[in-house]
Amino acid sequence: MRAEYAELVRQAARGERSAMERLLVRVQEAAYRFSLLVCGHPEDAEDVMQDALLKTYQHVGSIADPNAFRTWLYTTVRNACLMKRRRHVGEPRHFESIEGEGEAGGGRERAIDLPDTAPRPDDRMMDGWIDRRLRRAIQALPPTYRLVLVMREIDGLSTREVATVTGASEANVKQRLHRARVMLRRELESYD
Amino acid sequence: MTESSRPECVALLAGISAYLDGELPATECALIEAHCQVCAQCAVLVEGLRETVGLCRGVADLPLPDPVRARARASVRKLLDEVMGT
Repeated sequence: MRAEYAELVRQAARGERSAMERLLVRVQEAAYRFSLLVCGHPEDAEDVMQDALLKTYQHVGSIADPNAFRTWLYTTVRNACLMKRRRHVGEPRHFESIEGEGEAGGGRERAIDLPDTAPRPDDRMMDGWIDRRLRRAIQALPPTYRLVLVMREIDGLSTREVATVTGASEANVKQRLHRARVMLRRELESYD
Repeated sequence: MTESSRPECVALLAGISAYLDGELPATECALIEAHCQVCAQCAVLVEGLRETVGLCRGVADLPLPDPVRARARASVRKLLDEVMGT
């Protein structure tokens, strides 16, 4: 996947429209998936998707290392999610920060505040995409664990890439991933 | 899914994610597999985690909902038409 992105970035940087189009569509889909699963708001995911589109278009011509594009992209998307979260501060019934209290806080993170359970149109659309139980179980993870799980397991970033995006060590990423898997399993079993 | 607190199980489980990710050498994989043959609790845990990992990785292969994909394509074409021309 990283190699595919890198090749698209090279072609897009040379001005090849079809490559640029494929890259930007892929970027938007990655941004949407990440935002939805990590932050949990379909309406924010649309904005994050648009933000990723514009920033990638502006950035693609100046990328020195196309192999590093994915870490740039996920850092950009994560920051956009954080900005959306900050704009929600003060609004009722919303989520915690996507990264909790801090990198070394082990155990200090709080689980997110799940939204109202009444199904909305966005929820119905999402139910047709991803199993509702799995989505709820992912959203019930503490933020730092959810972030690592989504990037590593679903988006397919390497341990090193996740470490770069989060600023954590690779050992820390591996430890969080293991804990996230165990927590997710328990959460899924609790629905049985 | 309950994790065993027995020392041999705790030692084994420390490497379970690396095992599931195919990052352990064959000798260590063999130790885990042999242990799971005699420890039902660890066997259940390993299978449960394997299934969970599979569920998550399956999401990566799911195309996003059609309306989302359509909006993404439309946004890209609009932007490129504006800046690059048709």
